[in-house]
Amino acid sequence: MSMASFAVPSVGNAVVNRNELAEKIAVRNLDFFYGDYRALKAIDVSLYQGKVTAVIGPSGCGKSTLLRILNRMYDLYPNQTATGEVMFDGENILSPALDLNLLRARVGMVFQKPTPFPMTIYENIAFGIRLYEKLPKSELDGRVEHALARAALWNEVKDKLGVSGLSLSGGQQQRLCIARTVAVRPEVILFDEPCSALDPISTAKIEELIDELKDDYTIAIVTHNMQQAARVSDFTAFMYLGELIEFGDTSHIFTSPDDRRTQDYITGRFG
Amino acid sequence: MADVALQGGAVVASKQTDRSQVLRRLQVHDAAFRGLTRAAAIAVLLILGGIIVSLIHGSWPALRTFGFSFFVTESWNPVTNRFGAVAPVYGTIVTSLIAMLIAVPVGLFIAMFLTELCPMWLRRPVGIAIELLAGIPSIIYGIWGLFVFAPFLQQHVQPAIIAAFGNIPVLSSLFAGPPYGIGILTAGLILAIMVLPFITSISRDVFEAVPAVLKEASYGLGCTTWEVMRHVVLPYTRVGVIGAVMLALGRALGETMAVTFVIGNAHRVAPSLFAPGTTISATIANEFTEAVGDLYTSSLIALGLILFVITFIVLAAARYMLLRLDARTGS
Repeated sequence: MSMASFAVPSVGNAVVNRNELAEKIAVRNLDFFYGDYRALKAIDVSLYQGKVTAVIGPSGCGKSTLLRILNRMYDLYPNQTATGEVMFDGENILSPALDLNLLRARVGMVFQKPTPFPMTIYENIAFGIRLYEKLPKSELDGRVEHALARAALWNEVKDKLGVSGLSLSGGQQQRLCIARTVAVRPEVILFDEPCSALDPISTAKIEELIDELKDDYTIAIVTHNMQQAARVSDFTAFMYLGELIEFGDTSHIFTSPDDRRTQDYITGRFG
Repeated sequence: MADVALQGGAVVASKQTDRSQVLRRLQVHDAAFRGLTRAAAIAVLLILGGIIVSLIHGSWPALRTFGFSFFVTESWNPVTNRFGAVAPVYGTIVTSLIAMLIAVPVGLFIAMFLTELCPMWLRRPVGIAIELLAGIPSIIYGIWGLFVFAPFLQQHVQPAIIAAFGNIPVLSSLFAGPPYGIGILTAGLILAIMVLPFITSISRDVFEAVPAVLKEASYGLGCTTWEVMRHVVLPYTRVGVIGAVMLALGRALGETMAVTFVIGNAHRVAPSLFAPGTTISATIANEFTEAVGDLYTSSLIALGLILFVITFIVLAAARYMLLRLDARTGS
């Protein structure tokens, strides 16, 4: 049962509901800097276990930046720093002592553009599994099949596993990337505008997939498409100019937002 | 009314002539452009064909006299007029192999370091140093090799290696004999330094062209930098990297001056890498001015033909390797 169906459009109730949920990731007073430029300002937001949280906002508001902090992807680049706290199961992932590879195994990410690796479809999935586990061939085959099935791609590719992942269509490539992410059994999956390069049918498939995946994973999705946010998410965070303007139950945000700016954005007055 | 119609017709007609003139001019331009590019392409083929023909023609006396034995004879004796290509071919291939064995991994590691691991402030200095290395004339490598590098090897490195591997079956014969300083190994090492910049700068450029999001995706799975480079970046850039390696190999096979300085110029095939040897290009450079008699000259040209064929085989092998790689990854 999804949050949206029993949420009442009242702030008090939404808060009570949220308190009953387990916080998987808790972002507290998070600032982010590109050099001297402060891209995120004192962000407080939570991702709840088994729920989908959408992050919406106009271009450049810091949505993707926020997502890229949750798996420390920004660490690849110099002069990017985050301050504050991001608690993941009670552990601060901003701590310099953290094992990044382990974190990224636990927090998977799907990107805006499909990014299949330059190898076969089978290898694209098996590659990630092999990083962490040494499995006999038969078990590996099973894991690959399961991951592809989870991403609703198995039936389309089961006869051509030895073909390059690059030969698939855009929508299939994106599902391959989701399968690859699922295969390493993360706890959280981050989607960074996963459908913006896809046609409507592929988009619908991915949205369906997100809905199925949320039973097992905690999901965050950045999207430009407000209908998509309304369709797939349980909670929505609205960001504007590096600040978190409003965070709450999706139905509440989309029907009776508390903030004027949220109202303006979701009704299409800017952005 | 008729006037107007006539006038209108005249206007249309003059416009058409204008346009057809312009079109004709453009067609002439286009034809000239097509002709020029085609001529340039054909010129390359003609030059290549001319080189092959003159190599075969020049080497014909030697090939006719010695036949197949030219390719299997070690002796190179201007006094008795007995010539065989084994020693220079062996030297060419072995020095290039040594050079590639060292330069390919080191060059790729430098490129990986520069693109993935190097702090920003160090990138430019190291990059510029690598490019400067490529700009040093080979004669400089030659004299440096002869006066600095070879004596250093002779005094400090070779005795230690001989002592260390003295009792190990295969290695003891590979690294046997008196430490001359100059020899096959020294030539290979100099070649390695010379081809390093090619491998590094080309592979750095192709590594940098890998989409950031592809690297992020692999880091996002939890890959280490090594795993990202090994399983994602290298396969993605294999065409460029193999191209860089082949360019370097081509340079190593044909490099003349520096090798001539440090290889010792002995027409011998010795099991030891410390022994002096020779390469095809070193032999030609050394002996062409002194080659008296048609057979001697012709034998040298025949060596040139063999080098040409070796280079061709290397290129063909690279193409084949790429095809195989493509087939394996299914793209």
